[in-house]
Amino acid sequence: MASIKIDKVNKYFGSTHVIKDVSLDIKSESFTVLVGPSGCGKSTILRMIAGLEEINSGTISIDDKVVNDLPPKERNIAMVFQSYALYPHMTVFDNMAFGLKIEKKSKEEIEQRVMEAAKILQIEEYLERKPKQLSGGQRQRVAIGRAITRKPKVFLFDEPLSNLDAALRVQMRVELAKLHDQLNATMIYVTHDQTEAMTLANDIVVLDQGIVSQKGSPMNLYNKPDNLFVGGFIGSPKMNFIDSKILSKTSKSSEVDIMGTGKLSVPKISENIKEGDNIKIGIRPEHLILNANTDSLWESKVFVVEKLGSGTYLYLEKEGDPLVVQTDGDTNIKVGDTVKIGFDPFRCHLFDNKGISFKNS
Amino acid sequence: MKIKNIFTYCFISSLFLFSLICIWKILVTLQGIELTNFNFNKIFIFGIILCAINLLIGKKLNLNIKITILALLFSIFDYFISINLPIWYSIGIFLISLFFFNNIKNYDRNFLSKNHSSQKLFFNFLTLFGITLFSFVILFPFYMMLVTSFKTQALLLLNPLDFSINFTKGLPELFKSYFIVFKDYNFGRYMLTSTIVSLGTVIITLIFAIPAAYAVARLNFFGKNFLSTSILIIYLFPAIVLVIPLYTIFSQLGLRNSIQGLLIVYTATTLPVAIYMLQGYFKSIPKELEEAGIIDGQNWLGIIFKIILPLSLPAISSVALYVFMIAWNEFLFSLMFLDRPNTFTLSRAIQFLNVGAETPRQYLMAGSVVVTLPILIIFVYFEKYLVSGLTAGSVKG
Repeated sequence: MASIKIDKVNKYFGSTHVIKDVSLDIKSESFTVLVGPSGCGKSTILRMIAGLEEINSGTISIDDKVVNDLPPKERNIAMVFQSYALYPHMTVFDNMAFGLKIEKKSKEEIEQRVMEAAKILQIEEYLERKPKQLSGGQRQRVAIGRAITRKPKVFLFDEPLSNLDAALRVQMRVELAKLHDQLNATMIYVTHDQTEAMTLANDIVVLDQGIVSQKGSPMNLYNKPDNLFVGGFIGSPKMNFIDSKILSKTSKSSEVDIMGTGKLSVPKISENIKEGDNIKIGIRPEHLILNANTDSLWESKVFVVEKLGSGTYLYLEKEGDPLVVQTDGDTNIKVGDTVKIGFDPFRCHLFDNKGISFKNS
Repeated sequence: MKIKNIFTYCFISSLFLFSLICIWKILVTLQGIELTNFNFNKIFIFGIILCAINLLIGKKLNLNIKITILALLFSIFDYFISINLPIWYSIGIFLISLFFFNNIKNYDRNFLSKNHSSQKLFFNFLTLFGITLFSFVILFPFYMMLVTSFKTQALLLLNPLDFSINFTKGLPELFKSYFIVFKDYNFGRYMLTSTIVSLGTVIITLIFAIPAAYAVARLNFFGKNFLSTSILIIYLFPAIVLVIPLYTIFSQLGLRNSIQGLLIVYTATTLPVAIYMLQGYFKSIPKELEEAGIIDGQNWLGIIFKIILPLSLPAISSVALYVFMIAWNEFLFSLMFLDRPNTFTLSRAIQFLNVGAETPRQYLMAGSVVVTLPILIIFVYFEKYLVSGLTAGSVKG
């Protein structure tokens, strides 16, 4: 299988600079997920790897071979599109065999490879049907099957699950993970859904406005976000951000202000900060503690209660965005109640006024 | 039940019945029957009464029985007010009133008690009226053409407006004009020329239009927007403006009296619309399909032939049909460019026969039927493609 190296790649659409000096190393046989909000350039990167989009500067290499000027068919890649892009006038079998026929493989080999792929994806009974006779999930399977039959070095997925309904999406997600284990192929997967990214990836690349915001394993991104953007993007519901100030600072710890009502002592964060500097505290909804007698820092009023069964999200009044707290499913807190909130100082993330995490400074 | 609704219903439906009867009476007069009194006011009032009865009966009676009774009543009434008319006249009246009562059978008191029913009624009858009137205007000349072509010279001189077809003499006698048109007037040859010209135009147009439309729809090149919007500019010039310069050019190039010359002109006139229709359809094919083709290792030619073309078959067949019809029916250019009978197309041949003056009318009409029939058959058969192709182009165009 293949490793991919992207080196200082730039891409312009007219005068818009879409991809800004992006460099990435994608390990062989890894499952890498490119994630980010719409318009961040994730699909463009994927299409540049596929050869559907020209590269303005920089190089992309597959297995140490620069592929900038190679047409897609010589790059040994396969791509699965969001809209499936099955050929409507061909049967499932012909759809899957199309690439092999162009490669002029023998009839027996085509049949054998298609059957093999169909077996992996459990679509053997649909081979004679036309795409319009299939459901969304089946179509997506055929699209994946079309990629598998060609035995490419690299699989590219462009938001393959976003056209499916929620239940099917979860099911296909599990199957994709299984497929990666079975095929041991290098897979690159584009999505805007952070749940898909967290569950599928060995490596997540978070993109923001054409630059790589952070790259790392899912848990690493969750536990140690490099910046506000990654902190806010990974995790659901979103991380809460509280504007704060350094009150005092010793060689071992710093004391920060909480909502003007409380103080919190956090382990020493940086040499470069001074008393009075503005910082941001990031704390995930699942790490906030409600009504604990110890360490409760401030009080706030609940204005929305979302009961999900397994848990409850409380929306609390705060300046700016509301504060979201995750608590037990069977809580009896109601709208209008006032609750005490606290958290473990080791669980919070601190960002400077430019949004960069202090762990790096 | 609202008074306004009842009034509208009675008035409009009686008016509709009245206009149907008028059409029938016009046809009858053309057959040489003298109507001494048209009895318009009596028919109109009796129509209103019958419509009211229809309303009163509503759905208490089986609907089929109801319309038969009402139609019979109307025919008997008409029979008594207009005396001494042949039986086929009354049968005609009966059938017309049957058609009419069949259309109003579903209106009952319930329907009229709704607020919007008078508007609904109005539009229902407007539609019906439009359909009947226009089909009469279009079908009647065609029927005349057909009937005339089945007649002999003597019969035509006797009564040129006789609508009846005489089946008693057997089919060979009936189709005599057609045999003569093909045998003595060389229509077989003209038909062949027309077919060659039309099919040739279709093929050449498609050969040029498909790549051009694909380029306009998908590729980026300098002047693309200007080109795609200005494609139809050629239609700003009436053909008559182009025909004289073209005549001199073609004379000098020796393209007059040749099928090649016609093919050039026809292709030039049909190409813009063909490109316009196809590019609209090509744009509606998702780009991802082509990208999937590229990833699968297909080259541009393969993508056009294996993906785009099979998917555009409805659009392509509708374009082909459209171009075929234009080329088959075209008259002006063939009139100007062809003066030797051995290169005539069908429409030019008809005109030649007509100007010849000596040609009996029934042969002329037989020739006209020969021109119309193929296009009619093709159109009826491919109509669904034509419509779907046209709309597909227009929505995304």
